[in-house]
Amino acid sequence: MLVERIQRQNDASVDLGTVRSPSIRWFPYLLLLPSLGMICLIELYPFISGVSYSFHKGTLLGRGAFVGLQNYERLFSSPDFYHSLWFSFIFALFNVVFSYLIGLALALFLNLDFPGRGICRVFLLLPWIVPAVVSIVSWKWLIADSGGLVNILLSDFHLGPIYFLSQGNWAIVAVIVIKIWRSFPFMMLSLLAALQVIDKSLYEAGRIDGANSWNLFWHITMPHLKNISIIQAILMVIWSINDFETPYLLTQGGPSNATENMILLSYRYTFGRNDVGRGSAVALITLAFLTVLATIMMRQQRQRA
Amino acid sequence: MLATSITILVSPFGSQAKDHVDVQFWDMIWGGPEYIDAGKALVAQFNEEHPDITVTYRSVPWTNWYQTFLTAIGSGTAPDISTGAGYQAVQLYDQDAILPIDDVISQLKTDGKLDDFLPKTVDVLKYKDHYVALPWAIDIRVWYYRKDLLEQAHVQPPSSWQELKAAAQVLTNSKADQYGLVACGDTLGSHWLFTLMLNNGGGLFTKDGKPDLGSERNLEALRFLSDLVKSQFVYPASAGYHDEDELSAFSQGKAAITIHAPGLSGRLPKIGEKIGVLKPLTGPHGEQGTIAWVNNIMLYKQGKHPVETKEFLKWWSEHEKELWTKGHVTQLPVRKSFAADPYFQGNAETKFILENYIPVGKSTATHDTEIFPKLNDVEGEGVMQTLMQNILQGKDVDASVKSASERLNSILED
Repeated sequence: MLVERIQRQNDASVDLGTVRSPSIRWFPYLLLLPSLGMICLIELYPFISGVSYSFHKGTLLGRGAFVGLQNYERLFSSPDFYHSLWFSFIFALFNVVFSYLIGLALALFLNLDFPGRGICRVFLLLPWIVPAVVSIVSWKWLIADSGGLVNILLSDFHLGPIYFLSQGNWAIVAVIVIKIWRSFPFMMLSLLAALQVIDKSLYEAGRIDGANSWNLFWHITMPHLKNISIIQAILMVIWSINDFETPYLLTQGGPSNATENMILLSYRYTFGRNDVGRGSAVALITLAFLTVLATIMMRQQRQRA
Repeated sequence: MLATSITILVSPFGSQAKDHVDVQFWDMIWGGPEYIDAGKALVAQFNEEHPDITVTYRSVPWTNWYQTFLTAIGSGTAPDISTGAGYQAVQLYDQDAILPIDDVISQLKTDGKLDDFLPKTVDVLKYKDHYVALPWAIDIRVWYYRKDLLEQAHVQPPSSWQELKAAAQVLTNSKADQYGLVACGDTLGSHWLFTLMLNNGGGLFTKDGKPDLGSERNLEALRFLSDLVKSQFVYPASAGYHDEDELSAFSQGKAAITIHAPGLSGRLPKIGEKIGVLKPLTGPHGEQGTIAWVNNIMLYKQGKHPVETKEFLKWWSEHEKELWTKGHVTQLPVRKSFAADPYFQGNAETKFILENYIPVGKSTATHDTEIFPKLNDVEGEGVMQTLMQNILQGKDVDASVKSASERLNSILED
């Protein structure tokens, strides 16, 4: 009753406003103008500027001469570009898959009722809370040297030392594992929040119908996690492909450019080589790649819904 | 009223207000806090001696230094004068930002003061027929060794490549996590390559400035390093190491020989007395050489008071010895009169480097005779770092050089 009365009052006030002053319709848009202007300034201008730079032979000092598609052509003929594309892809893929699986397992675990659950949650959130510089430098101490804890343990079992940051393949593994370690708490937290709103009566009904634990998980839990999972996957892909700090702080893209993703390549071209045009081209290709990926995933989400 | 106006105009304050000039001096941070204090004190001394000029001292950190200067130039707020690394003057000269100092050099020559500079240090900053900066310090790479480790192993300090390899073999005991050499894969790692190539009479360029990484002498040097790596005489984590990791391994005694900038015993005071400097190694063809840079002090076209700034430049160049004696810069002076000072002659490490390494120092542009802006892109883009990382990972030298040459060509063609 109360809701209906408020609704009627709102409708009446809107009608009244429309009758008294038709120009008031523009007022909300006028109020939005400062925000729109700010968005254009901080988002649209850099984007258009970046697009423009990618068609010029620019340096950090100026836009330079117009070169058409030359920056893109040179990128597509560069092995460094294809390597960074490949590394960005596997970096994102492994990170999304494993951080999701670990996050899901831990979320299911933390959703159980047991003593010390709160402490467990805080402890498991630590990789996400600790500043990247601190956690990555700490990892470096653990794995880079023969004196690091990981290598001491490996040596005790006659498996090491392995110089994780000094061989290309091991460096790729190390960067991915550390990224997963930094990412799973976000997955865990979001999935735990989604798990906690699932109606318990659904499980009770399932059990009465004779469903086992796997059936309950597959037919009740997972469908309820579907939407959040897709959003998390999209976010994690974007964050992985845009990740600068993990590979930069750990390996600076080395050794021999083995762990150089698209963002590091863009950084190297722009600031190392003073080639802003090609750096912008890499950044725009990354953006296009992410946009396509996000669109496909969103469309799939809508179709399934 | 008229009398008051005349009094103001002729008074010393009126005159000072009319002629007084402000000069902005941006100095890179070349040392610890004591360096900045020494720089400020020198500027204060200049200001006291020159009441018509006020120089304002600003310390500029190395992080994003190029962007800092480019942004200032782009926005019309460049300093009147600044110090900078080896290629800064030629880089910014090509951006039309640097004021040549041909007249200063001519005057120094006329006054007989140019002879005080170490050979080649002034001419290396001549670019496109103009002197674009005055040299103020030399950075160079030096072979260091651990005296205690060599004594324990009964090894004499090596003086040639052959002896280096033999010493590294004796000093290596992988089971005890001890190796002959430790290197790194960052910029300092690339200096290893330059040092060995220049030592062997090679160089990154031909005399006419064309890339020449694949020359026989260069390949011989790179294969020598690769041989040391494949023989497991180089600390195995080196490819992933940075400068500070290399120093850490050296100070922990995990390796006995390394390459570094001067002043290592000061940087590692706990083992300072155990650190020695090797003689410049003699290569297989009897040559010596190492990589060296001449750091710049340069004027900017946007400066409003070039006459007064040049006066400050000359004064600074003649008085900057305190940057070492009080500021403890680890780089070496370019003036012979400074180098003869007891501060340098009383330090065995510095004296040895001045006498033995400076004469064999060569630029990254070798065999080209002058430095050029693209050298900065070559360093920034990391071609040589990647090559060093490849060699330290035991990858094939010829394939790595081929790939690096392609990247080098691509940078130079841009």
